[in-house]
Amino acid sequence: MSDTIELPVTNEYGYYEIRLESIGGLGANLCGKMLGELGAVYLGLNSASFSSYGSEKRGSPVKAFIRWCEISKDIQINSPVESPHILGLFHEAMAGKMPVTAGVGQDTKIVINTDASPAQIREKLKLYAGEIICIDALKIAMESKSRVNMVMLGAIVRASDFIPLESVLCLTEDTLGRKYPHMLEKNLEGIRRGYEETRSEKFQPDGQYEKVDYEEPENKWGYKNAPIGGVNTRFGSTVSNDLSASREGYIPLFIQEKCINCGLCDSTCPDMVFQFKPGEYKGKEAMVNAGLDYHHCKGCLRCVAVCPTGALVDGIEREHPDLKWFVRNKDLIVDKLEFEDTGANSWVTSESYLTEERVDGGLV
Amino acid sequence: MEKQKVLFESGNELAAYAAKQINYHVMGYYPITPSTQIAELLDQMKADGEHDITMIAAEGEHSAAGICYGASAGGGRVFNATSANGLLYALEQLPVQSGTRFPMVMNVACRTVSGPLSIKGDHSDIMYTLNTGWIILFANTPQAVYDMNLCALKIAEKVLLPVIVAFDGFFTSHQKRKCFVFEENKTVRSFLGEYKAEYSALDLEHPVSIGSYMNEPDILNNKYQLHQAMEEAGKVIPAVFKEYHEISGRQYNMAEGYCTEDAEVLLFLLGSSYHTAKAAVDRLREQGKKVGVFTTNVLRPFPGKDLYELCKNACTILVGDRQDSYGAGGGNMSLEIKAMLQEYGSSSCVLSRIYGLGGRDFYEADAEAFFRSCYEDTPIKFDYFGVNPGNADMEDSQYFSPVTEEEASPGCTTCIFDSEKGRMKVTGGMVNKTTAMPKRLAPGHGACPGCGIPVNVNLLLKGIEGNVVLLFQTGCGMVVTTPYPKTSFKIPYVHNLFQNGAATLTGLSEMFRERQRRGEYPEGSITFIMVSGDGGMDIGMGSALGTALRNNRLILFEYDNGGYMNTGYQLSYSTPKGAKSSTSHIGPLQYGKTFFHKDMPMIMAAANIPYVATVAESNPGDFIKKAAKAKAYADNYGTAYVKAISACPLNWNDKPNLERKVIGASVDCCYFPLFEIENGITYLSYDPEKSHKKISVSEWFSMMGRTKHLADDSYREVTESIQTEIDRRWERLKARADNPLL
Repeated sequence: MSDTIELPVTNEYGYYEIRLESIGGLGANLCGKMLGELGAVYLGLNSASFSSYGSEKRGSPVKAFIRWCEISKDIQINSPVESPHILGLFHEAMAGKMPVTAGVGQDTKIVINTDASPAQIREKLKLYAGEIICIDALKIAMESKSRVNMVMLGAIVRASDFIPLESVLCLTEDTLGRKYPHMLEKNLEGIRRGYEETRSEKFQPDGQYEKVDYEEPENKWGYKNAPIGGVNTRFGSTVSNDLSASREGYIPLFIQEKCINCGLCDSTCPDMVFQFKPGEYKGKEAMVNAGLDYHHCKGCLRCVAVCPTGALVDGIEREHPDLKWFVRNKDLIVDKLEFEDTGANSWVTSESYLTEERVDGGLV
Repeated sequence: MEKQKVLFESGNELAAYAAKQINYHVMGYYPITPSTQIAELLDQMKADGEHDITMIAAEGEHSAAGICYGASAGGGRVFNATSANGLLYALEQLPVQSGTRFPMVMNVACRTVSGPLSIKGDHSDIMYTLNTGWIILFANTPQAVYDMNLCALKIAEKVLLPVIVAFDGFFTSHQKRKCFVFEENKTVRSFLGEYKAEYSALDLEHPVSIGSYMNEPDILNNKYQLHQAMEEAGKVIPAVFKEYHEISGRQYNMAEGYCTEDAEVLLFLLGSSYHTAKAAVDRLREQGKKVGVFTTNVLRPFPGKDLYELCKNACTILVGDRQDSYGAGGGNMSLEIKAMLQEYGSSSCVLSRIYGLGGRDFYEADAEAFFRSCYEDTPIKFDYFGVNPGNADMEDSQYFSPVTEEEASPGCTTCIFDSEKGRMKVTGGMVNKTTAMPKRLAPGHGACPGCGIPVNVNLLLKGIEGNVVLLFQTGCGMVVTTPYPKTSFKIPYVHNLFQNGAATLTGLSEMFRERQRRGEYPEGSITFIMVSGDGGMDIGMGSALGTALRNNRLILFEYDNGGYMNTGYQLSYSTPKGAKSSTSHIGPLQYGKTFFHKDMPMIMAAANIPYVATVAESNPGDFIKKAAKAKAYADNYGTAYVKAISACPLNWNDKPNLERKVIGASVDCCYFPLFEIENGITYLSYDPEKSHKKISVSEWFSMMGRTKHLADDSYREVTESIQTEIDRRWERLKARADNPLL
């Protein structure tokens, strides 16, 4: 598989570039590494891949970058991919306020994990132009007992129009297959279905939405107005993070009639989602569970597991758009809150352990 | 040329690959981002039988450097890898290594030095080593990391000085590139040859004293010898590079440049930025601008002459420094380049730009901007590049009201000292009632779904009424709660590095009491709590024990998730024996961690502090009550140490929703028994035997991906040894509970 593949298009520096945007745990880092290796070893290209590491800067999710060029050329640039030829979006919920589509031009192919249609996604992303390739990677991953990253890998290969499917199957056999032989078939199935089940549509720049340039993030606090020493005076300000994107399809549902206000949910919730308020229970004064602030719920379902009365049950998030027990954090003193969509911090500083098999299936 | 093969690897992977091929005798290390992978990968290779390096996971970088020093005094080949604060923590040991002339190789994946804490790449750490007497090579590509690691050892052994191989953290350490390595290990070993140490503490026939007590007039001569060795290195390095070129086809020079010959304007950049700037050179050359870029591959000895040859024709040189020597008018590279130019009588204009701190990316456009500023009529000599003044219109209203003492004192849990029994009598602590306690932490933090840390911190704080000031040592708990510009803390909070949290809190709490005594601070009480992971309780054990021995009035709270989870799960001394981690892999030759989990409560008990307790979220009522007792002791009597076992779904590799059951199982198998030691007397809080709930440790192990391999029959001996140790500790605990004298 070392025949040289000709790159169909390159940017002004001579590179073909891919950017993956994801939430930690979906395996974008592994997917990026596989694409990098694919270029270097299976496509006969010069290749580089790296990820955005740690996410303490903005509590932001994971990005992975792949840069290819012809074998005789050096890869000089070490900075992130600004205007990708392919943009992979691993989680639909990222299509909110996060600038995940920055640098997308009319020739960019956007591969997104969603059950929606390309037209719906264009609306959601407010996308300037480009080809949108939709793949229901979550569903396929669940059905094939693979993982979102494998399905996305297949879809990205399809979107490229020049990477032979055979080469990525071969890579998977040689790398993941050697390490986790019992999972190989599931992973190959995930890749194949990702390749086969894409739905795509091309959008021209019709003036509906503006082009968004790639910019280094800046905070409102700078050297003129930030408190010295990195001191943070805005106590409790992470409350303005909307962590919905951290959920992987499931949420706890609250059936208040069954609740005995025992407080066990509050004792096990890592995310301070439950809002207990002074009230009355069985005719007595008591702290009463008023509901959940889902902005901060990461869908771990610890509360469902400890609830002794079945007042908390798990549900598929897509099936419950109107959450009856969605109440805002009771301690807030602001009327309006501008949320920043973000994910749980996911550290990708170390790779050897994270490319491990998970008990809940798949490789991350 | 020798046979080579193509790989697709990162700088860290290639450093590890080189070390494996060299087959060092000993590696002493302590994990720190971004260099950690080097030890992790070598551990994996060890498990797979690919090398024989004795890997020693120290409890901190200072000790890691000590291990390396001792090992190198024993006449063999020694390796280490570190970054940032780890390097600074070890700094004291570096001149010891060089001053007594024991060669070794240390990789430094360069990273920002704290504080505020940043894990990203810049050069603020490596510049601290300029005066240590180590040779410093700087690799600016992953390929160079491999090549220079091989050259480094040869250089070290020729001039008898230790060598650092430095490279950009993340940009080089984590970027994967197509690269070449020698197919055969023997190629590497024959390039290096045999090492015969001149002096060895293991040479019994020629006994030597290493580390003399030396003052004037002798130390001057000793340092002159070191200086001479460094001068010698200036000749040896090019020779070794040349020899390496012959076997690899890759030529390194002391310094290198791109389009320098006819350039009027030059950039000097260290590390990966050098290559990015080449792209800018190409673009500006197309526009007819005579520009170029140069760099150095060696920081010590500083190759002044080689650098001068590259830049002597330039009118303007802009030095981009990825660190600042605050107050000196430039970073260290600026200062050294200026000194070099002065030496050669050059009149070139030198501009300095501090850029890319804390891992800020360096784009091709940034390099173009550097060039543009060189063409300005009156360019600014020194500046910071890419700083942001901030948004003056920023709304900075608060989201919450401060938690008042009154609100935080709902009376859910009360504690009174029963002097007859010598114990605190605690009432309340009901799980439902304590939902009335205001949360001292706001939601929206970045912990992984199902993480045990906020669960444990919240349970602790549910039992602590009144004013609280928190200190977190570095770790997951700290990183996920304070991602600038946000913070989860609604009450005062301080972070310090994990060697030193307990001492820092001692200072803070004593300041409170002293200011109160002087009447400068209102009456009333504050409970001071340090929160640390088990990792912080390894590297910071000395500081925590010092605090306990002084009996300072504060709470030391440890969440024990059995590993350094913040950096990707390396083993801690509290990781269960047999568990796999990224520095205790399983493989044909290794079964996971090789030694038993640390018994920190008993170590604290030996400090004779008034209160030691273990807590688990599976027993939340017990947890809350013990928190209240810890507060009562810390406010009035001395140090209270409370330890919780804390779930890590990511690295325990289990399901987040089942964590409370997994925690419960750790208690029921007596791996983590619940007890208190109050004024020296041990009380069992929960006896799984009496409740007929006792299970084997294997049952607990089978619930987690990190330990479930131990259920396999081939590990029976390991599992049995763990069960025996746990039973022994449990029996001893019961005996202590039965006898107040124990």
